[in-house]
Amino acid sequence: MMEDLAFIGQIAVKSSIAVLLATLGEIVAERSGVLNLGVEGMMLVGALCGVAAGVATGNPVIAAAAGALAGGLLALVHGFFAITLRVNQVLSGLALTILGMGMTSFVGRPLIGTPPGVRLRALPIPGLADIPVIGDILFRQSALAYLAYILVPLCWFVLFRTGTGLKIRAAGEDAAAVDAAGIDVNRIRYGCTFVGGLGAGLAGAYLSLSYTPGWKESMTGGQGWVAIAMVIFATWNPLRAVIGAFLFGGLTALQFYFQAVGIELIPAYILKMLPYVLTIVVMIVVNAGMGRRRFSGPAALGIPFSREG
Amino acid sequence: MTVSVPPVLTLNSLSKRFGDVYANRAVSWTLQAGRIYALLGENGAGKSTLMSILSGRYQPDSGGIQLKGRPVHFQSPAQALEMGIGMVYQRFMLVDSLTVTENILLRGGPIHLRANQDIRHIRELAERYGLAVKPEMTVRDLSMGERQRVEILKLLHRRADILIFDEPTAVLTHTEIEGLFAVFRRLRAEGKTIIFITHKLEEVMAVADDIAVMRRGRMVSQLPADKVRSRHDLARLMVGREVILNVDKPPVTVGDPVMTASGLTGPAGTSRPAFQDIDFDVRRGEIFTITGVAGNGQEALVAALAGLAPLDGGTVTFGNHTYSAARWRQRPASGMAYIPEDRDRTGSIGAFSLVENYILTQLNAFGRSFLVDRHQAEQKTAEAVARFQIRGGGILGPAGHLSGGNLQKLILARELSRRPDLLIAEQPTQGLDVQATEDVWQALLRQRKTSAVLMVTGDLKEALSLSDRIAVMFRGRILDIVSARDTADIDRIKLLMAGIEAH
Amino acid sequence: MGWRIEKRPAVSARMPGWVFPASFGFAIAVGACIFAVLGVNPLTAYGVMLKGAFGSFFHFSEVIVRAIPLMLTGLAVALAATMLLWNIGCEGQLVWGGICAAGAGLFLAPHLPPFLVLPVTIAAGAAGGALWALIPGVLKAFLAVNEILSSLLLNYIAIIVMEHLYFGPWRNPEGYGFPGTAQLAEAARIPHFFGTRIHLGLVLALILAVVLFAALRYSRWGYRVRAIGLNPQAARYAGFRIKGQIIGVMLLSGALAGLAGMAEVSGIHFRLQQGLAVGYGYDGIIVAWLARLNPLAVPIVALLLGTLIVGGEQLQAVLHLPASISMVLEAVLLFGLLLSEALARYRLVRRPAAKDAPTTQGEAPS
Repeated sequence: MMEDLAFIGQIAVKSSIAVLLATLGEIVAERSGVLNLGVEGMMLVGALCGVAAGVATGNPVIAAAAGALAGGLLALVHGFFAITLRVNQVLSGLALTILGMGMTSFVGRPLIGTPPGVRLRALPIPGLADIPVIGDILFRQSALAYLAYILVPLCWFVLFRTGTGLKIRAAGEDAAAVDAAGIDVNRIRYGCTFVGGLGAGLAGAYLSLSYTPGWKESMTGGQGWVAIAMVIFATWNPLRAVIGAFLFGGLTALQFYFQAVGIELIPAYILKMLPYVLTIVVMIVVNAGMGRRRFSGPAALGIPFSREG
Repeated sequence: MTVSVPPVLTLNSLSKRFGDVYANRAVSWTLQAGRIYALLGENGAGKSTLMSILSGRYQPDSGGIQLKGRPVHFQSPAQALEMGIGMVYQRFMLVDSLTVTENILLRGGPIHLRANQDIRHIRELAERYGLAVKPEMTVRDLSMGERQRVEILKLLHRRADILIFDEPTAVLTHTEIEGLFAVFRRLRAEGKTIIFITHKLEEVMAVADDIAVMRRGRMVSQLPADKVRSRHDLARLMVGREVILNVDKPPVTVGDPVMTASGLTGPAGTSRPAFQDIDFDVRRGEIFTITGVAGNGQEALVAALAGLAPLDGGTVTFGNHTYSAARWRQRPASGMAYIPEDRDRTGSIGAFSLVENYILTQLNAFGRSFLVDRHQAEQKTAEAVARFQIRGGGILGPAGHLSGGNLQKLILARELSRRPDLLIAEQPTQGLDVQATEDVWQALLRQRKTSAVLMVTGDLKEALSLSDRIAVMFRGRILDIVSARDTADIDRIKLLMAGIEAH
Repeated sequence: MGWRIEKRPAVSARMPGWVFPASFGFAIAVGACIFAVLGVNPLTAYGVMLKGAFGSFFHFSEVIVRAIPLMLTGLAVALAATMLLWNIGCEGQLVWGGICAAGAGLFLAPHLPPFLVLPVTIAAGAAGGALWALIPGVLKAFLAVNEILSSLLLNYIAIIVMEHLYFGPWRNPEGYGFPGTAQLAEAARIPHFFGTRIHLGLVLALILAVVLFAALRYSRWGYRVRAIGLNPQAARYAGFRIKGQIIGVMLLSGALAGLAGMAEVSGIHFRLQQGLAVGYGYDGIIVAWLARLNPLAVPIVALLLGTLIVGGEQLQAVLHLPASISMVLEAVLLFGLLLSEALARYRLVRRPAAKDAPTTQGEAPS
C-alpha cells in the first residue's frame, strides 16, 4: 500500500512539473497584463529545441536552457504583436500556437525517433530522498523538478514582496496609472512575456529531456492549454499553481497506475480524458465561487496600453 | 515690480492637433512660482490637452516649453515629473487594488518594497500639508477626496514644484473642496505653483491668484484674479457671447404617479449598499430630479430602476402593478425609456449606422417577421434626424462619427419615439455644448406633457432649470425632496448635497 | 529611437483594401525565407505548390475538397466571433459531427427507409457538433467559464472518444485490425460531382455562407448577434438576452463544425477512422479572421487555405519537405493579417526632432 502510494505520488509529481513550469510563466505574463495563449506552441518549440541542443552538445544544462530560451524568444513575437502593435491578444496567441505546432512538426521531422542526446534522470537528493514515502515522492525527481520547487516560492516572492513585483502587478491592473507614475509599462510587459515564454519553453524541455525523452510531434498533448486554465484556478498566485498542477499530475499518475497494476476498473479511455475533464471542472468550480473572491484576475489582462489611446 | 523674478514656466505658442481638429492653437502662457492659477474654459476648449502637454502625456506638434528659463521637451509624464511638473488627472491614476503606500512608492527600487525612509517622508509630507490618509488602506476603499490626497502625496513625494489639477473639485463635496483649497494655499506658501482646471467661477474667485481663459483651443485672456470685476465678465470670456439660458417652463398639470418606489435597497457592495431606503414617486406631468455629488448612489439606483442591475429590497409600483425587488428585473421592459449617462458605450453602438442605432431599443417595432423592416427603419430615422436636427453624416453613416450633442439627440429621439409612460434621463446634457443642451432641455420639458420624467443629474443649474421636484442623495440615501419652485431651497440643496441636513 | 507608433486619426471601421493582399505577401515572403534557409529555391518550392494545386483539374478538385470542411469550420468560427465568442473547439465539434454521422450511417441506416438515410446522417452530424458546442456555451452563459479554454480542452476529449470508438466497440470486425469502422452504406454517403471527390458538402457550405451572411445582416436575430459582439453593454441596455444568444450561437456554430465532420465521414472517408481530426477546426480560425468574419468571404479564403494544404502535401511528395509547411504558412498568414491591420490602424511617425528643446538630463526613458 505504501509502495503504491509512493509510486503514484512520484509519478504524479513527475507528471505535474511541465504544467507547473508553464503555469508559473503564464502567471507572470498575465500578472503584467499580457494574455499569451501561445503556451502550447512555446512548449513544443521548447521541447524540440531542448532535444536538438541535447543532440548537438550533449550537455543537459545547455539543452534545458536552449529549450527555455526558445520559448522566451517565441514569446517575444507575441510581445511585439500584443504590446507594440496592440493587436488582439487572443488571435496573436492562437497564431503563436499554430506557428509553434507547424514549425516543430516541420523542423522536427528528422529528430523523430532519435535518442535525445541527453536525459535528465532522477537525481535523488542525498538524505532527503531516504525519508519514507515523501522522499520517494518529492526527492527522487529530475533536476528540473527541483528547479520548479525553487521557482514556485521565488515567483511568489518576486511578485508579492518586491518593488519589481509591485510594478508588474500594477501594470496588469491599471497601465495608465503605472505610466503616470513614470514607469515604462511596455518594458515591464515585454519582460514578463519573455519570462512567461521561458517558463513554457522550460516546461517543454522538461517533457522532451526528462518526462518522455525524445522528440515526438505534438508531444505536449494540450498541457499548454491546461496550464493556461490552471492560471485561473491558481487565481494568478504561484503558490496555488502547485495545487492545480499536482491535481493534473495526480490524474495522469492514476492512469499509469491502473495500467501498470492491470486493474480494468475504469476503462483506459476514460482515464485518458480525466485530466482534461478535471481542468474544465476546475474552471467551473473556480467560476462558481468567483463572486466571493477578492481577486478574479488582473483588471487590465489582455488590454494593450497606449498613452494617446 | 515682478520683472526681476524670472517665470517658473513659459509656454511658447504650443499647438496640438488631433486629426483635423486643433485642440490647442498657438497657446502661450507665462507662470510665476508660488501662485495659484485657474485655467478656465468650456468643455472642449482645449484645457485638458494643454495640461496633458505640460505634464508630458502628449507631445506638442509645434511650440516649446521653458522651465525655469531652460527649454525642455518631455517625452513622457515620467520626464515631466523628473523636472518637477506633476499632474492630478480627473480620472485618478491610482491602482485600485494596491495600498496607499504601494501606490506612492510604485516607482521605487526593484527590491525593497518597504523603504522606511520613504514611509517617513510620506508621513512628513502628509503632516506638513494636511493631507490625512491612512497609508495601509487599499485605494479601492478610499473616498474620492482621500484618493485625491494620495495623488497629491504622490507628486510631493516625487518633489514636484508645479502641480496641475484637472477639475479637482468635480468629485468632491463642499467640505472636501474647502479642504483642498486649504492644501492649495499651503502648497503656495511653500513656493509651489498650482494650476487647476475648472469651469466653476465661484472656485476661481475663492482661491485663484491668476486666471487664464481658453476658448476653442486658444488662450483668449490672462488676468490677475483681483482684476476681475464680476463673475459675469468671466462667463463672457469663457463662452465668447452673452449666454443666458432662458428656460421657458410652461405649466403642466401634474397627474397620477407613474412610478412609486418604496424602501428600495441595492445589493451590498464592499461595505454598505450603494443605496438604501429609497422612497419617491414620479408623476405624469412633472420632471422629478435626483441630484447629488457623483458617487452617492445615484448611478446604482438608476441602473436598478432601468432593470440593468439587481435590487435587494423594497418594491416598485409601475403602472398598475407592484413588483418585488426580485421581480422588477424580470418585468417585461415596456412603458419605460431610458437615456443612459454613457451615450458612447451604453446608449449607442458606434460602429452601427444611425438607422441601426435608432432601432436598438425598439427592435420589435420594426418588422414582424424574421427580418428587420429596413425601409420603415430608414424612414423613421430620417424623420427623427430632421425633427431633432441631427447633423453629421447620412443616416447610413456610423453613429460613432456623430458629435456628443448629435448622438444624444439621436438617443433622445429614439427613446421618445417609444412613447414611454416614464422617461429616465441620466446626466442628459453632460459634456454637451450650449446649443445641444438647450435642445435637450426643450425636449425634456415637452416630454413632461405626455409622460413622467425622472432625471438624474449632478448639475445643479440643470436640476433647478428643469425640475418640478428635486431629491438630494447623499451616501446612498435620499436626504430630502424639495420643490424646485421655491428659490429659498436652492441654498439648502447645496447643503444637502454635502450631507448637511440641519438648517 | 526617433520613431514611434501613433494612432491614425479618423479611424474608419473598414480596413483598407490592401490589408489582405499585404498579409498574403508577408506570408509568401516569410515562406520564401524559410525555403531559402532550408536550401530550397523558393521559386521551385512555390512552383511545386502551385502546380500541385492548379496543375490539373484533378489537382484543383482536391483543393476544393480540402476547402469544404474549411468553409464550414470557418463559418462556425466567424459566426461565434461576430458575437465575441471564441469557438476554438471546432476540431472537437467536427469530430463529434463525424462520430454521429458515422453512428447514424452505420447503426440507424438499416432501420430507416432509404430516402431518409442521408437526411438523418446529415442531421446527426450537425446535432453532434451542436451538442458538443453546447457545453462551452452553457458554461460561458451561466458560469462565465472562459470558452476559449473549455472549448479547446473539449477537443482532446472528443478525439479520445473517437479513437476509443474506432479502436474499440465500433471497430470493423472484418477490418483485419485496421483502426476504423466498417464502411458506410451507399445510402449514407453524400453525392459526388464530376467524377472527383468534390461532394455535396460544397453546395451545402456555399448555401450556408449566403444564408448566414443574409441572416446576420438583415434579420433581427443577426442584428442582436452583431450588437452583442460590438458592444455587449449597449446590448444589455437594449434588453437583449445575452445568455440565450450565447447558447443559440454556440449551438449553430457547433452545428456548422459538425457538418464539416459529417461531410468528411460521409463524403470522403466513408467511415470513422484516423485522419478525421487533422486540424480543420483550427484552420477554421484562420479562415474566419482572414475573411474578416464575413461569411461571403469565407469560401474564398477557404480555397486559399486549401491551396496551401494541397501545395504543402505536394512539397512533401516532390521535394520531401514536411507537409506541415502549410501550417507554418497559415500561422504566418495570420500574423501577417495582424501586422497589416495594425499598420492600417497605426502609423509610424518620426518623433519631433528636439531642435530648440534638448531632452532633459540623462537618457530618455521612452
